[in-house]
Amino acid sequence: MAEFHIQTKKLNNNVTFIAVQGFLDAHTFEEMEKTINDLFDGGTYRLVVDLSKLDYISSAGAGVFIGAIGTAQENEGNIVLMKPSPNVKEVFDLLGLSQIFPFANDVEGAQKLFS
Amino acid sequence: MGEVHDRIVITNDTKFLGFVREFMSRMIRQSALSREDENKIILAVDEAVANIIEHAYENQREGTIDVECLADPQKFVVTIRDSGQQFSPEAIETPDMGSHVKSKKKKGLGIYLMRLIMDEVRYTFREGIQNELVLVKYIGGKPKAPHA
Repeated sequence: MAEFHIQTKKLNNNVTFIAVQGFLDAHTFEEMEKTINDLFDGGTYRLVVDLSKLDYISSAGAGVFIGAIGTAQENEGNIVLMKPSPNVKEVFDLLGLSQIFPFANDVEGAQKLFS
Repeated sequence: MGEVHDRIVITNDTKFLGFVREFMSRMIRQSALSREDENKIILAVDEAVANIIEHAYENQREGTIDVECLADPQKFVVTIRDSGQQFSPEAIETPDMGSHVKSKKKKGLGIYLMRLIMDEVRYTFREGIQNELVLVKYIGGKPKAPHA
C-alpha cells in the first residue's frame, strides 16, 4: 500500500511549495494539518500544494485545506492547488471547492497568483 | 457477470481504511458498475467507515466494522455494520462551502458526500447490538417508483 509523504521547499516571494504523495484520508490528514500549521506559525501563508502525485483524497483530507485557506487569506497569503490528479479533482468538484481554491498548472503560474 | 458477494472485517482504526478502499476497488471492478463510478463509491464507503470510527466508536473503544458488498447487474449494495453508539446522521445538513471556509470548519462533509454519490443511504441503529448502514448505487440509473 502506498504511503503518505509530504515534502516542502521554500521558493521566492515567501512562497512554500508542498508536494503531497499517496493517500490523504482520515488516517493521514493530521500530518498534512501539522505541516500547514507549522508553516503558518513560522509566518508563511503563501502555499503552493502540488497534488499531482496524490492518489486519493477524502473529506478529512480536503477539510485540511478548507480549514486553512481562510487563515492564509487573512494574512495576505493563499493556498494554490497545483495539478490535482483526476480522482482528487473529482472530490474537489463534488464538494464545490473548485470555485473556492485557486488552481495552477505549474509553479510559475502559481507564483503569478500571489503577485 | 456482475454478480459480486464478499466482505471485509476491520477493527476500528483509520490505518485500515486503505484495506477497505482496496477491497472496494476489487468489488467494483468485478461488478457491472462503470469504472467512472469507482473513485466516488470508494470515497462514499471510506467516508462511512471513517465516520463510524470517529463517531460510533469515538476513536476509543475497540470494535469491528464489517463491510459487505452484494451486487447484481442492476444494483451495487454495500452494507456496513458496527456495534458502536448511535450518532445523528439525519441532523447533518447539506453544507454551504462558503460558510465552511469562513468558519474554518474542517469536518461534517462525509455524510453529505455519501448522499451525493449513492442513490440510497439508510441507517438502522440498534445501540450496543448492531448498527447498520446500507449504501445503494443503481447500475444504469435509479428505477422509477411504481405508480399507485
